[in-house]
Amino acid sequence: MASTTEPAESFKPYRLNHTLTGHKRAVSSVKFSDDGRFLASCSADKTARTYSLASPDAVHNEFHGHEMGISDLAFSSDGRFLATASDDRTVRLWDVATGSHIKTLNGHTNYVFCVNFNPQSNMLVSGSFDETVRIWDVKSGKCLKVLPAHSDPVTAVHFNLDGSLIVSSSYDGLCRIWDASTGHCMKTLIDDEHPPVSFVKFSPNGKFILVGTLDNTLRLWNFSTGKFLKTYTGHANSKYCISSTFSITNGKYIVSGSEDNCVYLWELQSRKIVQKLEGHTDAVLSVSCHPTENMIASGALGNDKTVKIWTQEAD
Amino acid sequence: MNAPIIDPLQGDFPEVIEEYLEHGVMKCIAFNRRGTLLAAGCSDGSCVIWDFETRGIAKEFRDKDSVAAITSVCWSKNGHRILVAAADKSLTLWDVVTGEKIARTTLQQTPLQARLHPGSSTPSICLACPLSSAPMIVNLDTTTITVLPVSLSDTANGVAPPSRNKFSDGSAPFTPTAACFNKYGDLVYVGNSKGEILIIDHKSIKIRGIVPIPGSSVIKNIIFSRNGQYLLTNSNDRTIRIYENLLPLKDGLKALDELNHESAEVDEVEKLRAVGSRCLALFREFQDSITKVHWKAPCFSGDGEWVVGGSASKGEHKIYIWDKAGHLVKILEGPKEALIDLAWHPVHPIVVSVSLTGLVYIWAKDYTENWSAFAPDFKELEENEEYVEREDEFDLVPEAEKVKDSDINEDEEIDIVTVEKDSAFSDSDMSQDEIRFLPADPCQDVPEQQDGHVLSTSKLGHGSQSLSPLSEEAGQNGHLTNHESSPLEEDTGGTRLKRRRKSSEKVLDFEEENVRKPQSKLKESINLLKTVK
Repeated sequence: MASTTEPAESFKPYRLNHTLTGHKRAVSSVKFSDDGRFLASCSADKTARTYSLASPDAVHNEFHGHEMGISDLAFSSDGRFLATASDDRTVRLWDVATGSHIKTLNGHTNYVFCVNFNPQSNMLVSGSFDETVRIWDVKSGKCLKVLPAHSDPVTAVHFNLDGSLIVSSSYDGLCRIWDASTGHCMKTLIDDEHPPVSFVKFSPNGKFILVGTLDNTLRLWNFSTGKFLKTYTGHANSKYCISSTFSITNGKYIVSGSEDNCVYLWELQSRKIVQKLEGHTDAVLSVSCHPTENMIASGALGNDKTVKIWTQEAD
Repeated sequence: MNAPIIDPLQGDFPEVIEEYLEHGVMKCIAFNRRGTLLAAGCSDGSCVIWDFETRGIAKEFRDKDSVAAITSVCWSKNGHRILVAAADKSLTLWDVVTGEKIARTTLQQTPLQARLHPGSSTPSICLACPLSSAPMIVNLDTTTITVLPVSLSDTANGVAPPSRNKFSDGSAPFTPTAACFNKYGDLVYVGNSKGEILIIDHKSIKIRGIVPIPGSSVIKNIIFSRNGQYLLTNSNDRTIRIYENLLPLKDGLKALDELNHESAEVDEVEKLRAVGSRCLALFREFQDSITKVHWKAPCFSGDGEWVVGGSASKGEHKIYIWDKAGHLVKILEGPKEALIDLAWHPVHPIVVSVSLTGLVYIWAKDYTENWSAFAPDFKELEENEEYVEREDEFDLVPEAEKVKDSDINEDEEIDIVTVEKDSAFSDSDMSQDEIRFLPADPCQDVPEQQDGHVLSTSKLGHGSQSLSPLSEEAGQNGHLTNHESSPLEEDTGGTRLKRRRKSSEKVLDFEEENVRKPQSKLKESINLLKTVK
């Protein structure tokens, strides 16, 4: 088992900095805004919250309005708007500064599971348990396209760096790449044994995709060749859709939550586990990395209900 | 753009009307540098910017004082400014992001075409071609106007040329003179009524070269390709000519000076012609020899590989597409309305045409869904191939299957951060400052009766954009589940918009029969593929 905790080179371990309580049920997703000023979290308690990183312990805003639990949220690129995806089959747009509800996007016929803005933030993509991926116009709220994406619930959707491609993943074991402007399928990626894919996201340069599958594995694929290049194991992921991300602010790492209540950090190239962040008391569902600082945020399930912020010690 | 997985054969030329945009009566259009925004000038004096990706209105500029129809729109290079020329003889410069008027000048005559200097990011000078006199350089900051010479005799005494009453080939007195900047704006190429292309240095107002066009008929349009390597002229003799630009893209003036020195001619006119012949070389001529149709708004495709021209005959909306070798590859036919403006998307194989009724039609490739993209290991064959089985194919345990471990070198270094420069845009050193999109502010939902009020918000917020046709575009691929989920919108949208689509019959039939089918069809094919594997 590759669960060695030797720090690679001069890796400084992350330490727990803040624990944010307040959610009354499991935290499903945490995200930093692109400008690094806010952290947002959403929960099964039907609310989303934003925290200002200048003073994280006080809640900045709470967003009420969904009729059922929220599975995912996303910031627009300028950090002014927040989109939430909920089990009430809607995606809602909120104003970050005032906490007010702006728009409801109706159209999905089952739980909306994942949502993301494109870099230009004029379009939103959402994936749902109704097996489709929808592209929405942010300004008018109209559904621009419905993609017949998968044959099982769609677990993750993400735009690439320039917003020209969308990647979607599903319990049916496939990852599909779509052309964002025409809605046509460009490629399908599948491994030999195709375990349900719980998460997918593009690398910062849009050339690779990070795929998490429910067989306790994370893989980095080059989607143009259709081959995977790296495999990361050691964590536990066989039940929930756990998100993972890239940490590039201080060396290149892969960060992921795990069902054994820890946050795992692997070095990108060597695939060695460099740290396990312990502290949560339930499975860690979501992690997010701050765009400029060495900060990781994590959110955990119902036994824990907290969002934790971890930082690396400064020199 | 992620080139590797997008089929290279796809990026050719458009074939059918994909959808149309409607907002008042639009008269002229211009894409921004990347083709993410489309500016359209309307007959009521307002200028509308469409977000081309969502096909919705991103911004609208309206000047209370000016309600005259817009004759031309032009973007600055980085998309921060828009120059609008209107029928009340005015030129207005708008700031795109703030929506404020920066400058406004009134000319002696209505400018039919106005182009901002392409070389700088905050251009203050522009080239205006008025209705019936010589083109002029207008400095928008100082509002000084410099008239350019349209023939050699004009420069002799250095005074502004008198407005012409009659032209040499007897054509009507109000024929406009065409002019355009070269790629970096150091030279202006003017096409005059004698059928000559004059290369003018607009700073010193001197003609540096003359290129006579065979046939010597009045030049109506003159335009460069995006890469500055080809020049297109549209003449009264119903021919479109393509010239190759022999001058270097930058430092054209220096090259002209050198050519001037080299030329052994003594006579000034001969000298200029000799220099001119070293600046442009006739490459191709396009005409429709059967119908001998006049051309309107010809231009190049974004990569310069295709030439597109609209038929100027009233009552028909025909767009001709040629490849650079001179072959006519396609004639696009739209509804029977005259065509007044045409533009090719800078990057995609999309053509946008404006009809006399004020609608903007978007022509794109007729894409048939690449079903093999849905199956990961499905290989499409162009034609039947004889399958030769392996030696051990029918063995109980084939040799090949035993070697199952991946030979993937997991230790190889991969780079997840470096972004490759977009090769389609050569001078992307500028792109940091460029406006590629306008921030989209979601319109506030009206609480309660949301469905009923969708119409009213769209009237207030952003004119009548094409609503459900957007989902019909998806309809070409068979993804139509959209309609069921928002029936109210669909109904109201349907009655308001007139459906005038070329491929509509095919799509509508498909619509009625196969609303839910595509998804299940997909499931079946996936299952089938699974078993085959």
